[in-house]
Amino acid sequence: MDPWKLPISSAIQRKRLLSQSYTSHASASPSDLACADRASDVIYLLLIEPQVITSKFSVFSFLFVIGAQNAWDILLEEESMTRITTSCAELDKILGGGISCKEVTEIGGVPGIGKTQLGIQLAVNVQIPCYYGGLGGKAIYIDTEGSFMVERVLQIAEACTEDMAEYGRFLGKSIQARQVEMGPKDFLENIYYFRVCSYTEQIGLENYLDKFISEHRDVKIIVIDSVAFQFRQDFDDLAQRTRVLSAMALKLMKLAKKFSLAVVLLNQVTTKVIEGSFQLALALGDSWSHSCTNRLILYWNGDERYAYIDKSPSLRSASAPYSVTSRGIRNSSSNS
Amino acid sequence: MTPENLLRRPQPVEKLTLGCPVMDRCLAGGIPCESITEIVAESGSGKTQLCLQLALLAQLPPSLGGLSASSIYLHSEFPFPTRRLHQLAAQFHAHHLQDLIATGRDQRYDPMDGILVQSVHTADQLLDIMTQTESFLQNSQTQFPVRLIVIDSIAALFRSEFDNTSIDLMKRSSLFFKISGKLKSLASRFRLAVVVTNQVVDYVGDGMNGLKIGNLEELYSSGRRVCPALGLAWSNCVNSRLFLSREEDEKANNCSVERSEEDGGFGSRTTRRWLHLVFAPHLAPSSCEFVIRREGISGVDR
Repeated sequence: MDPWKLPISSAIQRKRLLSQSYTSHASASPSDLACADRASDVIYLLLIEPQVITSKFSVFSFLFVIGAQNAWDILLEEESMTRITTSCAELDKILGGGISCKEVTEIGGVPGIGKTQLGIQLAVNVQIPCYYGGLGGKAIYIDTEGSFMVERVLQIAEACTEDMAEYGRFLGKSIQARQVEMGPKDFLENIYYFRVCSYTEQIGLENYLDKFISEHRDVKIIVIDSVAFQFRQDFDDLAQRTRVLSAMALKLMKLAKKFSLAVVLLNQVTTKVIEGSFQLALALGDSWSHSCTNRLILYWNGDERYAYIDKSPSLRSASAPYSVTSRGIRNSSSNS
Repeated sequence: MTPENLLRRPQPVEKLTLGCPVMDRCLAGGIPCESITEIVAESGSGKTQLCLQLALLAQLPPSLGGLSASSIYLHSEFPFPTRRLHQLAAQFHAHHLQDLIATGRDQRYDPMDGILVQSVHTADQLLDIMTQTESFLQNSQTQFPVRLIVIDSIAALFRSEFDNTSIDLMKRSSLFFKISGKLKSLASRFRLAVVVTNQVVDYVGDGMNGLKIGNLEELYSSGRRVCPALGLAWSNCVNSRLFLSREEDEKANNCSVERSEEDGGFGSRTTRRWLHLVFAPHLAPSSCEFVIRREGISGVDR
């Protein structure tokens, strides 16, 4: 690669690079680098072929800036970020349109609140084709608890195909003509399901995911149901557990960024003693709560299910009702 | 590691019948395999009856809702109801012998042979048994492999051994997850149905155990508000939860009077029993009424 193709914004800087005869990475010798009159020039040089140069001059490895973006680019990217709908309008509203790709979202709640239901719903919804406003992607479902029921997935997928058909009729013929028949069976086929029975398996699988997704680029969501279960047994050394977990969270975050996919971690709740009284908190401890970008807590409010945004860098905290029906996650029945 | 092809999975997942269409309808076919189903109830509600019945029904061929399998019955409440099992087995034998022979059972087949009973006294012992079970399941080559594990009850193992201090509670919940993790991995490896019974404790207030778990607003049995024992940590360990409740009915209607007399009941006092589905990954909450008779548990259609 030569400097012409570098993502250098200013023509003047590019000129200066060339005038100092840095035409390719090969022409950059250690002495050149040392003589480069400006630190910024060095950075541009390193941009050329970081692997080669850093292996030559490990001193400069701290200047590893490949892929650096400015805040403007990030903003643009964020605005174009795709989201996966939850099938509940109110929930989508507080989430800014759905579960965001490129980010790690943690969802927690008591048993029976609908964590698994939401996980399955997302694994189905990610497959809604682009012309219906979906992502047309595939899903990876990592089941650590054994709560994934194929018959339930089929039910939700059937409801989803019905909804799509209705939407198609609503939009008119142009869509119907393009409509590729997507049956409930296809939904099942597009979910890569892994059953994990120990934490070593879970860590191993998460390490393997990078390779797997490189081969299956259309994966747009990873659901782990639940992230906590295997880590709540057999760990006497809690410090070690924290280290393992944060390494895992980092890996997942990296996957989310690299392949621009959504990572959804379902988590359990536990009681925590705060000043003598029992309070509910998500499992896996305080340090884990730093590991996820977004955190959604599901809870009962009387007879209704509610979701609450506990943590998010871009969304304000809000809560919204939702309900679990035979067709999947839907709007709360009292409001619709 | 390769992902499992979901299309190749049995659909719906294999289920073990509860022995009557009313209750099966409530659970969309019965107790699902490859997951843990918990039955919560106060004493005398029919937990053990239901478990014994399941252990027998597992021996039925799949066409009749069974699993064509043997079962392991781990009991921690004493004594083991041998007489009742014998009674149920005799009924079962008389009722289903032809079906069983038609599906490859021996002429001299005795349903009692298909139930392996083991007593458990502590949680650690339960873990040991689980390890043994694993190697047993690996090496067993019978025509009717074990496909059902019943633990009756899990609560009895934990209710005495641990103090109410935070260290003991942590140890306790770590054990829960260990047991449940082991059970789930066995269940998924050998396609087992796992049934665990649990006791109830009285509801004492919002701060302590009033947390709402599952779809039912409040659980009542014998007129008291109750909660499943073993707390939130254990609730995280099961896939589905059933709740059996009972109410004494003073003003008995005619048909239940007959029923109670048949049972040798006390005059006009009858017990009405319900089965509630508290939560399950594949089902909406529902409930149905059931009765316990000489020949076992069956649902009442209303």
